[in-house]
Amino acid sequence: MAANPNINFRDLMILIADPSPYLCMLVHGILRGFGANKVIEVKHSFGVLETLIGQRVDILLCDAKLPPHGGLSLTRAIRRNTENENRTMPILIMTSDTREAAIKTARDVGANMVVAKPMSPASLYDRLAWVAFNPRQFVDSETYFGPDRRFKIEGYPGGVGRRKGDKVVEVAEEVGPALAQDDIDSLFSAARTGQN
Amino acid sequence: MSENSNPPGSDREARTFFVETRFQRLARRPGGLSRAQALENAQAQIEETKPDFESWLDGELRQLTDLVATGVQAGAADPAWAEGIVSHCGQLRDIGTTMGYTLLSFIAGNLCEILEDANTDAKSNIETIMCHLDALLLARQAQYRGLRPEQLPELTGGLRRVAEFIRLAPDDV
Repeated sequence: MAANPNINFRDLMILIADPSPYLCMLVHGILRGFGANKVIEVKHSFGVLETLIGQRVDILLCDAKLPPHGGLSLTRAIRRNTENENRTMPILIMTSDTREAAIKTARDVGANMVVAKPMSPASLYDRLAWVAFNPRQFVDSETYFGPDRRFKIEGYPGGVGRRKGDKVVEVAEEVGPALAQDDIDSLFSAARTGQN
Repeated sequence: MSENSNPPGSDREARTFFVETRFQRLARRPGGLSRAQALENAQAQIEETKPDFESWLDGELRQLTDLVATGVQAGAADPAWAEGIVSHCGQLRDIGTTMGYTLLSFIAGNLCEILEDANTDAKSNIETIMCHLDALLLARQAQYRGLRPEQLPELTGGLRRVAEFIRLAPDDV
């Protein structure tokens, strides 16, 4: 197993986009704990677009339902905008809607990864590490621009693995279509043979 | 940035290319905290915000209680009113677990699920909302704070059954 890689967060320009000021503050605090020193918070998609026009952003953490356009539409728009130098930046979608269809939609609009809310520092860190240490090709086609959706997870960096502990809400007889973080990751991990 | 030709048999319209983003380049620089240290520091940051969280939580529950009261007075749940409920509950769901209120997150999430799936003008939704509000106020109390949903199976199972019932028969409730 490879040595546990550290993420160097210093000087990374991180944009958090979420309508909840408290959640923004919380994620900001978590990132500060990771060592980040350049974090911007916005509450709506106009704020994201203004920020992207004005400066280079290294990674976007975006709520799936970010008003008014929705984080998924915003992601598609960013990926489709050939004029914007940020169009290939990593985008992590933060969502509480973990139904399979919602996760697949996030993947299909060009998100790099989905992290389930409520999130823990570990779940956020591991997905950021995955994006940092597992670069993926980009695909540019008539219907899609974004990270190659046909990739394979061979374990998170540094032997972190796919952690059972990521499951946030555990109810004994949980039924229904909601997916745990492991299942969400799996949807981003269809092997090159073309699953999903 | 380097481009690759498509493999035989793949979508011929698609172009694939490799990008090393600035995020990847900077994140992989030597230095940075170990994962364990980063998580420890992040948890410390969360702990620092907990006193503020208690005030925020009480404010959210107060606003939610007031909002529910207006719906009860009106006797019906219009979509905008229900959206307000979902907005407050969504925040409680998204933040509660991170701050140690797992049960609160579960209850708020269950109510969001009901309101997002069911007809929002059904009068019985008010009763559903009121029973969830009671559960939220209970989960806020100190003795329930550290409990997980599976530790209160009667409560969480009952709320789950309400959600399931409404999902199966949204037009009849």
